[in-house]
Amino acid sequence: MNGHRMLAVARKTLRSLRHDRRTAGFLILMPLFMIAIFGYTFGGDLKDVEVAVMNLDIGGSNGSVADTIIAEISSGDTLRLIFLSDDHPDPLSAAEGVVRDADAWAAVVFGQNFTAEVEEGIAAMRQGLPVASCHVMVLMDGSNPNIAQAVMAEVTTAVQRVLVTEYGLYPPMVVLQEMVYGEEAEFIDFFAPGVMGLAAMMVTLMLSIISFVHERTNGTLDRLLTTPVTEGEIVGGYALAFGLVALIQSTVILLAAVILFRVEIVGSPLLLLLTIFLLGIGSQGLGFILSSNAKNEFQAVQFMPLILFPSILLAGVFWPLEAVPELLRPVSSFIPLTYAVDACRSIMIRGWGLGEVWPQLLILAGIAAVLLTLSAYSLKKRR
Amino acid sequence: MSEDVVVTNALTKRFGELVAVSSLDLKIPRGVVYGLIGPNGSGKTTAIKVMNGLLRSTSGSARLLGEEVPVKEVIHRIGYMPQEMAIYTDLTVHENLELFAGMYSMSRSAFEGAEKDLLEIIDLAERRDSLVATLSGGMKHRVSLACALVHDPELVFLDEPTVGVDPELRKGFWDYFAGLKRAGKTVVLTTHYMDEAVRCDIVGMMRLGEMIAEGTPDSLMKAAGATTLEDAFLANAKEADE
Repeated sequence: MNGHRMLAVARKTLRSLRHDRRTAGFLILMPLFMIAIFGYTFGGDLKDVEVAVMNLDIGGSNGSVADTIIAEISSGDTLRLIFLSDDHPDPLSAAEGVVRDADAWAAVVFGQNFTAEVEEGIAAMRQGLPVASCHVMVLMDGSNPNIAQAVMAEVTTAVQRVLVTEYGLYPPMVVLQEMVYGEEAEFIDFFAPGVMGLAAMMVTLMLSIISFVHERTNGTLDRLLTTPVTEGEIVGGYALAFGLVALIQSTVILLAAVILFRVEIVGSPLLLLLTIFLLGIGSQGLGFILSSNAKNEFQAVQFMPLILFPSILLAGVFWPLEAVPELLRPVSSFIPLTYAVDACRSIMIRGWGLGEVWPQLLILAGIAAVLLTLSAYSLKKRR
Repeated sequence: MSEDVVVTNALTKRFGELVAVSSLDLKIPRGVVYGLIGPNGSGKTTAIKVMNGLLRSTSGSARLLGEEVPVKEVIHRIGYMPQEMAIYTDLTVHENLELFAGMYSMSRSAFEGAEKDLLEIIDLAERRDSLVATLSGGMKHRVSLACALVHDPELVFLDEPTVGVDPELRKGFWDYFAGLKRAGKTVVLTTHYMDEAVRCDIVGMMRLGEMIAEGTPDSLMKAAGATTLEDAFLANAKEADE
């Protein structure tokens, strides 16, 4: 392996990209666009979810418990309450109708004797007598699980807070949570490493496929192979170039994530970049292999969805691997992105170093070595 | 007697039923300009590709500079210009030349000297930093030729080197090939232009994958009783048919 020739191939590849300003711009702007769109779409908490309230509670001598709960809910900005008139022969049906017509995601209904029932229950509890729970009815449109979960969490939390603040009723048993990692972590902290890996993989795979088909159809590959350069040096040169492109993209994503979304990088940024570099060169090898039998760019990119969809869905980019059906989990372990995302996440959120993420890096390096060797072999087979 | 730098023995290349090159026996001595001439589909390009290791021969053998094809030890002493452009149109002229120089591990000073000379020969010194994509077809062809010669090879294969080149520059090319020959280098080229093939020292006439005649242009014309190489080719083709 001659390093001088490998560097010459890498330099040639990077120069081609530099002259093609549109592609060069795409390489920088695409990851920026990805992190921005994902960050703004998924990064924020739910706000202003419309929820109808049917308050039939007539209250008691100390006011209405329902009013207190409603006030508690209103103090946050997750739910936006729409108050329904109780002047209806069948208020429950009216509340349900609002949800059925999709005018609100949920309807919270407080019964006529809600306050009285709550106070009776509390009195019974204090006297050690059996308690008959009264209830707050939530009629839910469960078509969006995220929203349904948020509505239930808001209502339940408000009820518990009122019990504590108004009646001093502390639950006899609580779960204490102490964060070992990710104390300040938000959802964007979870998926930013995933997006970074996904962007690096997508772009290096695409560049590799198109460049290689281009080399073959233009005859430049054949011509290079009549010079002393070896197949390994050509593949190595491309790997260096596209690995560097992946690094630049990852840096853009990291900077955007830190500046725009205040994502925290607890561990070493250099280790992160090393992880992405290994993923990038592996993806380049895969691109070479996929395009080795394609007659043109169009045929070559037909393979991309076959790689991209499993990677997006099964590599833990947007949801944990534990959410992947058991039947498909073995597939996850064959996807390089799985290891890259896992390592990046551990470095960024847990602050892990080489001592902890070496198994993932070793697997990524192993996958890259195998794919690059196979792609060099696929070039040899052409002769 | 000078050594033979290209030797083929019954070199044959088939693509399925089609025999592209049939039992080609060549002996090309050092320090000549050897021209393979013949119509499209006569097997010239296939023969050159097999000799350069781009295609595997079906049978027979080939030796370049004493080494069996595909060559490894002597590869840096050989240059090849394919028929198709096969240069990077998204790089500048200089970057293309530098890339091919890099493939032969040339030193910077050696490359700079070679680049200067070659750019003058191909008349593109002023376009050194232009993207190849912005050049005309003929200019691209000249860049491709320069890429084959940048490392100063002692044996060079040129597949249709003068296609798309204007007559004045074509003359310059042939003068350059003569200069290479005087320097003891060997040029093996293919051409469609029979009028320029007379400038070769030896001409091999190919038709339907077979070598139908070989010799100096004068001897071939004399043997066929022709005044032009084209007439000599036609006479040999007719004889081969009979």
